[in-house]
Amino acid sequence: MRILYMLFLAGGFGLTVANGFLGREFFGQRRRADLPPSVRQTPGAYRTFLHNNGFHGGK
Amino acid sequence: MSALASCPSCGASLSFRPGTMVAVCPYCKALAARRDRDPELIGKVADLVDTGSPLGLGATGHYTGRAFTLAGRVQLKHPLGGVWDEWYLALDDGRWGWLAEAQGRFYLTFTQTPHGTLPAADSLQAGGLADLGPDGLWTVGELSEATFHSAEGEIPWAVEPGGTYRFADLSGRNGAFATLDYSEDPPLFFLGREIALAELGIQGGTRKPPKVGAQSLNCPKCGGTLALHAPDQTQRVGCPNCGSLLSAEGGKLAFLKSLKQPRQDVVIPLGAEGSLKGEKVICIGQMRRSCTIDETAYPWNEYLLLDSQHGFRWLVQSEGHWSLAVAVAPGEVPQVRDGQKNLWSQGHNWRRFQDVEAVVEGVWGEFYWAVEQGERVEVSEFVAPPRSLTRERQKHKGGGEEVNWSLSTYLEPEDVWSTFKLEGAPPPPVGTASFQPNPHKVALAKSALWLVGALGLLLVLVMVESMTHRNTELFHRRLDLIEMAHLQPSAAEATRKGISLRRPTPARPAAMPRSPSDPAAAEAQEPVFFSDPIEIKDGHQNLAVTLIAPVNNNWISLDGALVSETTGVAELFLVESSWYHGVDGGESWSEGAQSETVFLSAVPPGSYVLRLAPQWEGTVPPVDTIDVQLRQGVMRWLYPGLALLAILLVPLLMVFRMAAFESRRWQESMYAPNAGASGGDD
Repeated sequence: MRILYMLFLAGGFGLTVANGFLGREFFGQRRRADLPPSVRQTPGAYRTFLHNNGFHGGK
Repeated sequence: MSALASCPSCGASLSFRPGTMVAVCPYCKALAARRDRDPELIGKVADLVDTGSPLGLGATGHYTGRAFTLAGRVQLKHPLGGVWDEWYLALDDGRWGWLAEAQGRFYLTFTQTPHGTLPAADSLQAGGLADLGPDGLWTVGELSEATFHSAEGEIPWAVEPGGTYRFADLSGRNGAFATLDYSEDPPLFFLGREIALAELGIQGGTRKPPKVGAQSLNCPKCGGTLALHAPDQTQRVGCPNCGSLLSAEGGKLAFLKSLKQPRQDVVIPLGAEGSLKGEKVICIGQMRRSCTIDETAYPWNEYLLLDSQHGFRWLVQSEGHWSLAVAVAPGEVPQVRDGQKNLWSQGHNWRRFQDVEAVVEGVWGEFYWAVEQGERVEVSEFVAPPRSLTRERQKHKGGGEEVNWSLSTYLEPEDVWSTFKLEGAPPPPVGTASFQPNPHKVALAKSALWLVGALGLLLVLVMVESMTHRNTELFHRRLDLIEMAHLQPSAAEATRKGISLRRPTPARPAAMPRSPSDPAAAEAQEPVFFSDPIEIKDGHQNLAVTLIAPVNNNWISLDGALVSETTGVAELFLVESSWYHGVDGGESWSEGAQSETVFLSAVPPGSYVLRLAPQWEGTVPPVDTIDVQLRQGVMRWLYPGLALLAILLVPLLMVFRMAAFESRRWQESMYAPNAGASGGDD
C-alpha cells in the first residue's frame, strides 16, 4: 500500500510540477508538427498538411 | 500506654492499649473482651490460616508522619470461600487504622463520623451507587457478609467467635476506598484508600517466612502430583489428571467432587513461565467459559497468571484472538446503567458491545476463589480498541453480590507464543474480535504524516503557481466570418432566416471547399486568418486558446496552428463552440457551451504566427463574428486537482477498508450502530 501511495504521489506531483513549472499539457486534442518549408510557403498546403495530420474540423 | 491484664483462661499476661476491645491470648488462643475490671473470656479462636501475608504482628511503620504498630489481626471468611486478613494499626496518636489485605492488595481505612445518613444495606446493589451525602457518591464493589474465623493480638472492635458481619465495600476514584460495616446500628463508616506497603515503611514483625517456589501436593483423589504456585492464596484446585475439584484451604487439598470436564484444548500448559509486558508471569490456572447467544455456545479459554508481586492477571483466548486482563477498582469506572451504550472512563470513550451470561465449563489448576463448575456471572463488555472494559457481576450463594471490572488489552498471538515459548505457529484468528485493533486505522495513522506533508507541498506549489501564472494575453482578435467567407451580410441574414436567395456570389470562384476530400483545393479558398507575428518570451508556461462564439443550436469550430517563424514547428489544435438547447417532454435542456478553451504546452521563446481556420456547417456561418484569444501562463486547476486526488485516494481507500473492518466488528455486537438497540458513535 505504501508503494502504491508513493506511485500515486509521484504521479500527481509530477503532473502538477510539469504543468506549473515547465508548461507541459497532457490532456486535450492537439498535436505538434514540423511544417516543411514547402508547406509554409504554399497557401493551400496548410490545409492539406493539417488534414493529413488528423485535423479535419467540423462535426 | 498499654494496660496489662491476665488471660481469663490461662493467666498469661495480656496487653490492652487504649481502644483495644478484645485481646487474643498468644498461648491459649483465648478471646478476652475488655471489661471494667478484668477481661472476660468470650471464647477461643481457631488457628490462623496461613495466608502468606507479608505482614506480621508487632511490625512497625509510619503513616502521614505518625508511627504505628501492627497490634492485631482478624481473619474473616468470605462467602465464596477463603479468608482475608484485616490488620489493625495502633498509631502513636491513639487512633486505629484498619489495613485490609486481599489478593495482594492493601486498603487502609479509618473510622469516620459520617456527615450524613448512611444508606441501608438493603438499598445498595453491587455495581450501583452509594450516596453518602456530603461524603460523596461511591460505587458499591461488594455487598456481602463476612464470618469471623480467627484473630491474634489486640482488636479494636468487639469480635465474637462465629460472628457474622454484613458489609459493603465502596470504591471511588484514584484508589479511594470505604467500607460500611452493618454489624452495628447505625452502621460504621470506614474511609481510606488503596495503599502500597512501601508507603507504610513497615519493618519487623513476627510473620512467617514467605513460601518460595511451587509447593508440591498430591491429589487426594488420584494421587497425581499437583504443583501449587500460590498455595497461600489458592482456594480451589482443578486436578488436571483426574478432573477432580479440590479444596485448598489451609494449605491442604481436600476432594470436593468429580467434574465432568470438557475437552482440554488449552495451549498454555500449567506452570509455563514467561515475561509478558515486562512482568514475569506463570500460568497457574486454566478455565474454560462460554456464553450462549441465540442458542449458540461461544466458548473461550482463560489462563490465570501469577505475577512476581503475587498479583493475578488473566490471559484470554477466544477463536485465536488473545488479550491480557487486569483488575480495575470499581470506583475507577463510572456508574453504568442498563442499556447504556457509551461509557467515558480511563480517558477513553467505551462503546458497549455485548451483555452475556458467562458460565464456567471447566477448571484446571489453581484459583484464588472457590470456583465452581457452572458458576455464572453477568458480563457487560465495553470496547475501545485495542482495549475492553468488562464488568462481571456475580451473586453470592446465600445473598450478597459483587462487581468486578477488568481492563483487557489485545495481544498479538505471536507475542503469546514467544512469551511462553510455545511450539509451532499460533492458529490464525477467526473473524474480528470485539476490541481487536483496526489494522487499517493503524496504517492510516502511519500515512497521516505523508498525507499532511503532501497536502502542504501541494499548497505551496499552488501558491507559487498562482503567483507566477499571470494569464498574459498574447493575442485577442474578433474575426468577422461574413467577411472571411466573402458573403454579403444581408444574404447571410436571409439564409439564417430560411429565405430562399440566390447563392451569394463570392469574391473568389468558391467561398467554401468544393469537396472535403480535396483539401488542397479548399485551402486556397477557405476562410483562413493569419495573425501578425506574436512574440513569446517565456518558454516554461503553458498557452491557452479560447474561442467565444455566440452560437445558438449550432456549432462552429476552429482549426488552429501556432507556427514558429523560426523553426517551422507548429502546435496544432482544434477548438469548438457548440451550444444546443430546447424543451423535451416539458423540460428544458441544453448542452455544450458558447466558449471553449484548449490548452497547449509551452513553446520555445520566439516569434509565432497564429493560423485560424473556422469551420461550420453549410454555406453561411452561424454567427457573424467570433472572438479568439491566446493567453500564456494560465493557472490550470486540473493538475493540482489530480495531485489532490492522488494524495487522498490511498487514504480514502484506507478509510473505506477501516470502515469495512469496523462494520465486520460491530456485526457481532448486540449494540451494533444499525441494529435496533443502536449504539452511539465515539
